[in-house]
Amino acid sequence: MKTFNFQFCEKKKLFFGISLAVLAIGLIFNIIFGTQLDIQFSGGAVIKYSYSGSITQEDVEKIVKDASGKDVSVRIHEDMSTVNDPTIANNSVSISFAGTDSISLEQQQAIAAALDEKHPDSKFEVIESSSVNPTMGRSFLLKCAIAILIAFVLLVVYVGFRFKKIGGVTAGIMAIIALLHDVLIVYFTFVVFRMPINDSFMAVVLTILGYSLNNTIIIYDRIRENRRLMGPKATYAQLVDTSINQTLTRSIFTSLSTFIAIAAVFVVGTVYGLTSVTTFALPMMVGVVVGCYSSIFIAGPLYVAWHDHKDKKRESAQAAETK
Amino acid sequence: MKRAKKPVFFIVALLILVFAYTSLFGVHGQNGDNRITYIKGASDIRWGIDINGGVEATFSPDTQGVKATEDQLNSAKAIVELRLVNQNITDYELYVDYNQDHIIVRFPWKNDETTFDPENAIQELSATALLTFREGTEYTDSNIVLQGSDVKSATARMTQNQSTGQTEYEVGLELSSEGTSKFAEATERLQGQTISIWMDDTMISAPTVNAVITDGKASITGGFTASDASDLANKINAGALPFKLVTTNFSTVSPTLGASALDAMTIAGLIGFILVCLMMLIVYRLPGFVSIIALIGQMAICFAAVSGYLPFINSFTMTLPGIAGIILSIGMGVDANIITFTRIKEELNAGKTLDGAIQKGNANSFWAIFDGNITTILVALILMMVFGPTNILSMLFGPSTTGSVYSFGYTLLVGNIGNFIMGVGASRLMLKSISGFKCFRNKWLYGGAAK
Repeated sequence: MKTFNFQFCEKKKLFFGISLAVLAIGLIFNIIFGTQLDIQFSGGAVIKYSYSGSITQEDVEKIVKDASGKDVSVRIHEDMSTVNDPTIANNSVSISFAGTDSISLEQQQAIAAALDEKHPDSKFEVIESSSVNPTMGRSFLLKCAIAILIAFVLLVVYVGFRFKKIGGVTAGIMAIIALLHDVLIVYFTFVVFRMPINDSFMAVVLTILGYSLNNTIIIYDRIRENRRLMGPKATYAQLVDTSINQTLTRSIFTSLSTFIAIAAVFVVGTVYGLTSVTTFALPMMVGVVVGCYSSIFIAGPLYVAWHDHKDKKRESAQAAETK
Repeated sequence: MKRAKKPVFFIVALLILVFAYTSLFGVHGQNGDNRITYIKGASDIRWGIDINGGVEATFSPDTQGVKATEDQLNSAKAIVELRLVNQNITDYELYVDYNQDHIIVRFPWKNDETTFDPENAIQELSATALLTFREGTEYTDSNIVLQGSDVKSATARMTQNQSTGQTEYEVGLELSSEGTSKFAEATERLQGQTISIWMDDTMISAPTVNAVITDGKASITGGFTASDASDLANKINAGALPFKLVTTNFSTVSPTLGASALDAMTIAGLIGFILVCLMMLIVYRLPGFVSIIALIGQMAICFAAVSGYLPFINSFTMTLPGIAGIILSIGMGVDANIITFTRIKEELNAGKTLDGAIQKGNANSFWAIFDGNITTILVALILMMVFGPTNILSMLFGPSTTGSVYSFGYTLLVGNIGNFIMGVGASRLMLKSISGFKCFRNKWLYGGAAK
């Protein structure tokens, strides 16, 4: 069996550098593109109709604007194979309403009636519609943030308690930093791919939190065990390097199997053209890779860097005392 | 090592497979034309509207900027509930958020629904309640005795029966002055006959007039339970204090879109599972095979927990984040096996005997798996407590407004418990047992060098 012997802690500057560079690129994208909050969080309204035959974007825009009295942007998606067949309702049009206000049922009905009147043969039918009041969306977002915060605190407490022997609270905080790193990269994935922040984002973030945390704990467990085996003389760097190398096979296979399973979801979702599935699977694939990376290259080396820093401080303090 | 007895492998594997089969397909019987479900299978899982399509709407009582009282919200809820049943929508979820004056309703499409108009349905649910008291038990244009505006309030209360001394529940009515005179006239005329009470076009009660009521204070009695009485009082109040329900949020997902999402998830799940099984077999050989059985068991536990397999666990609405929770916990199940088998492989390479390696590998890997799963369970519990129906942040945010994150927490929790039972318990038991067979004692099968 292969045993690895990589020097993770010695090259920590490289790994931290890579992470910071990726985060910086994400930030630049974020500044350029901005963040798209889904109407679930920001409030607003979107309706998607299926229809048959051919209509123009300007035409729909005008009808909807007249019927609802609101500015709208219209996107048409035509199925190439059946676009000219008036019997099959395979085309779809999605209408986004300007602003963050919800629209009323009456407005929605008026729009449907107006569309039917102007294009009686197009068989308009609602595929998806969603209209959200802005205050509700915001309170949901805030609630998510608080939930994650509570989770973080409890995790530090648990890790601090279970990993007392290896400086648990520090280990806990380093694990949380690695988690924040993962959440940020997942968030930037949404920004870079221009996907709105919505339910899928929450699901992905939660999953990656659990996943990356598990990865980190497995490595910490090995550090805890090796501290016992290698004795107090081993330096933190030796200890952590050995532990990461010993768990590397497991880290790779576990991440690989999760990645394969989610890639299957992504491919099938793409084939079926389901954006709700692909916008979930794509950031999840990124998250699995990042979660694995952060556990190996960030949490461990960061933990060592912290202890080295503390040791140096203690030494200089002792040196000052003996003077 | 205390080796598990040889038949243990077959017993455990058989139990898992039987459990998996029944939790996937359920157990059904045929009684004439009726299909009886003894045990619910995966086809009985109630899918959330993000998967199967459906309607979600949030209503707020239009109280002109004044905060609605709890009673008002309860009345509004009672009305929405009554109308849902009238529209033949039984599979609904209904929440009230007392802090923010929200009533949230969610219901899926019915299987054979083709002409359902969600906009109309929601409009009917939110229409101003129309309460009438009518002569007799017929709904006609000319038999109205009282209208909603004639009733001041209704309350559910407890009284003691004079003759039997038992506690009884009743609904007390207080009428307006106009209502009092109308009711006095009607009760005098209709003594011993019925005056029925209607919400919209549904009869909600049909009491008999026992006495002439001239002071505008009536009571409706007759074998109510406490909840019956408050239910009726809520409905009457909704008509007595008519306010419009404004629809603040409204979303629909068509059934066709939902159905294809479900198909895609099933196919993706199958492909993903087969790929993972192949990897486990190729990399870990015999233990990999054992882990596949354990994984099937863990998935069966997840299905059983959402479908209502066990009668004492309610069925659960499955949403996309719920599926994400299952994927994560299955991933952790795979991980538990990988950690153990890697440890066994290490020990074999260090020159241990097969039994020694299995024992050492199991022991060494246990706490890693334990800590990893417990931390994830902590996260799942927090999510359930924050986003659940009753939650620890309800002081700040009111009762849950969205079920999707809650279902993630639920499936993750169940999946992780399943991981302890299957990935740790059953998997180890089976491996110890199967390693007792002579033909399975070659170290190569466990990832060591061939003998």
